[in-house]
Amino acid sequence: MLKTSLQKIYSDIDFTFARQPGKTVKDLALSYDDKAVIRSVRNLLLTNHYDRLFNPDIGSNISFILFEPLSGSTETSLEREIRTTINNFEPRVEIESVVVNTDYDRNGYNVTLTFYILNATAATVTTLFLERTK
Amino acid sequence: MASANSLTQFIDLDFDSIKNNLKTFLRGQDTLKDYDYEGSAMSVLLDVLAYNTQYNAYYLNMIANEMFLDSSVQRGSVASQAKLLNYTPSSSIAPQATIILTMSGVTDASLTLPKYTNFLSEPIDGVNYNFINPNAYTVNVVNNTATFENVVLKQGRLSAFNFIVNSTENPKYIFEILDENIDTTTLSVLVQENSTNTTTQIYNKASDFLTIDGDSLVYFLQEGNNNYYEIYFGDGILGKKLKDGNIVKVSYISTEATLSHGANTFYLMDTVGGYSNGLVTPISEATNGVQKESIESIKFQAPKNFAAQNRAVTKNDYMTLIQQNKLGITFDSVSVWGGEENDPPLYGTVFISLKPTGAYDLTTTQKQRLVEEVIKPISVLTVTPQIVDPDYVYVQLTINVYYDPNKTTQTSGQIQEGIKQSVFSFATNTLNTFNSTFNSYTLLTYIQNYNPSIITTDYEMRLQKKFYPNLSVATNYKFLFNTQLQKGVLTSGVGSSPGLTFKDPLNPALEINNIQIEEYPSLTYGVESISIINPGFNYQSTPTITITGDGTGATATATISAGSIRSVTVTNAGNNYTSAIATVTPAEGDLTGQLGALVVNLEGRYGTLRTFYNSNTAVKTILKQNVGTIDYNEGVVTLNSFNPIDIDNPLGNLTISVKPKTTTISSTYNRIITIDPYDSASVVVNVIAQPQ
Repeated sequence: MLKTSLQKIYSDIDFTFARQPGKTVKDLALSYDDKAVIRSVRNLLLTNHYDRLFNPDIGSNISFILFEPLSGSTETSLEREIRTTINNFEPRVEIESVVVNTDYDRNGYNVTLTFYILNATAATVTTLFLERTK
Repeated sequence: MASANSLTQFIDLDFDSIKNNLKTFLRGQDTLKDYDYEGSAMSVLLDVLAYNTQYNAYYLNMIANEMFLDSSVQRGSVASQAKLLNYTPSSSIAPQATIILTMSGVTDASLTLPKYTNFLSEPIDGVNYNFINPNAYTVNVVNNTATFENVVLKQGRLSAFNFIVNSTENPKYIFEILDENIDTTTLSVLVQENSTNTTTQIYNKASDFLTIDGDSLVYFLQEGNNNYYEIYFGDGILGKKLKDGNIVKVSYISTEATLSHGANTFYLMDTVGGYSNGLVTPISEATNGVQKESIESIKFQAPKNFAAQNRAVTKNDYMTLIQQNKLGITFDSVSVWGGEENDPPLYGTVFISLKPTGAYDLTTTQKQRLVEEVIKPISVLTVTPQIVDPDYVYVQLTINVYYDPNKTTQTSGQIQEGIKQSVFSFATNTLNTFNSTFNSYTLLTYIQNYNPSIITTDYEMRLQKKFYPNLSVATNYKFLFNTQLQKGVLTSGVGSSPGLTFKDPLNPALEINNIQIEEYPSLTYGVESISIINPGFNYQSTPTITITGDGTGATATATISAGSIRSVTVTNAGNNYTSAIATVTPAEGDLTGQLGALVVNLEGRYGTLRTFYNSNTAVKTILKQNVGTIDYNEGVVTLNSFNPIDIDNPLGNLTISVKPKTTTISSTYNRIITIDPYDSASVVVNVIAQPQ
């Protein structure tokens, strides 16, 4: 029999630990597929090295790069760091493009990340605004 | 969902393994699939779970380790385990020195040197140490001078604390003494009734729980969790109970232990009865200090102490308790045996022989203190402990070493000295204790390993006994070498050194110098073996063998097989045979056995010792034909009525040397085999170059 419902390949809990919406079952809300992958990518980019116990390699160096002067070269560094981190730790993603634009007014960078999730036909686009917080 | 059985491995303590276990568990479900991707929230949660698991597992592991004496590493844990074995780790012990203190210009009739008067030592490694006298001394003043003889000083300072008993704050009456340097052997505990009633009672350390009742004035000592000693008191059933308001007064010597060893010059720092004109003459330097017991030592000693139960019954009990003595004497080796093993047996006596560290013998005082303070209180009532001095057998070696000069850059002199040192380290490592064996293979290995250029080694060995003969007093001496001795063939097997002086027997007014002792194989023989020249035939049962000759006591037995004599065993060698024959008599009722014939082989078991000197014209002259005997079988040398009037040696000791039959020599009981490092002739090395 042909299966009509869309099978969920990836599933992860949500860091907000919210309750599942619209259901009577009292359970944690989960993220699926592209949402789960995007969340994973964001987690990786926002994790510093040495944040994870016993596994200092996981994460990126982005928060340190953000303390460099706002300039084109920092954009390049950010782009390279984002690509390296995703290539190293997120095997589900094939990067299409990483576009980093300096936003001088807001003192940060707009990052537009376009990638393909394996087994998905359409590209996924996610945007991030990176600014230093302290 | 996954079943709990998916998580099967509980043995891992490693973070990654624990995390992998959790992942294995999650593989069995399909609700959450991203646990294996490092960026996922689930992965972060797994990290937290794995870390928590590892943290608890590690913590439990450490707790489990600290629960057992073998694996605990914290001193507090080790001391606590030892407490269960009724073992209190020993504290530092203050070194002790003895002095004479002379106070001049004293106008009183008598003078008292109060307890805890301060003295200062000369600098040891740049530090002057404080010494105090734990006892008071009073002497009469003679010619305005007070002389305090044999004042014992202990290194350290007096420390004193007062604790006020308060059952609310300290319901167990445990008082911690916050000093790591305490010498608990000097601990004094007094209990004052209260701040208004100054009646004070002395409390002693509890030792024998059988004698303690509810009124006994005792305190208990233990090492607490914080590495400090604690004292605590009885509960009214075992030891008198303290009352609220009591004041516990604790005083002791706080010592730097072994650091001040060797201090021998002291200065009086306090006034004595108002006089400060004191002169200190040292008698013995500061020694016998002991460091606080180490964790390793507690782990080693506590179970053995428990096994001995503070009672000396078995051989090992004596050995453990003597090694643990609190007198500050340490031993390289301890040997204990029962008197029933002696020849002749001496029942009811236990013999103890001790080799003190850094000395040959114990002093008489040390022996008395060991017996009275260490052994007697714990030994069985009817058993008399007796300390005997170690009986040293010195090995003298003449070593010939052949080496290839092309294989080494060392000179022959360097090789010679190096081999000498190797031999001394051989002695240090394998000899110098009771129950050791001189093993020629080990000796040769030490020599061979010194330098690869050594081709081969041979050596000659002599055994020596050193003693101090009574001069001019005829005395009998007996030396037990406890190994068969070789009879001298062309040269004497027995020798003596240095030269002796005797009175000339022909003219007692004259003295003859440079007299030596040598052996003279005598005519007193025993039966060594019996050979069969005709086994005979048709013997029904074992025939009797009779040895007849001019000696006495020899006996032998035969064994037969298929009617013929197969072997004859000498059961007693007998004495004084110069000729002997053995006859075979068939057993009673054996009418067929015949023709068995034997021949006796005699052996010289005994030899005689004589004294000789070389006269002015270098003619060897015998001074006295018989000064002693030598028993080659038993290895016994005796000197009878030996009365030299002088010895050519400032120390006054005489060495008797013999050649052993074998080079494997064992020591038992109170015997110690050693190589004397202070005797330049004890190891002679000849180095012979032999290019290959």
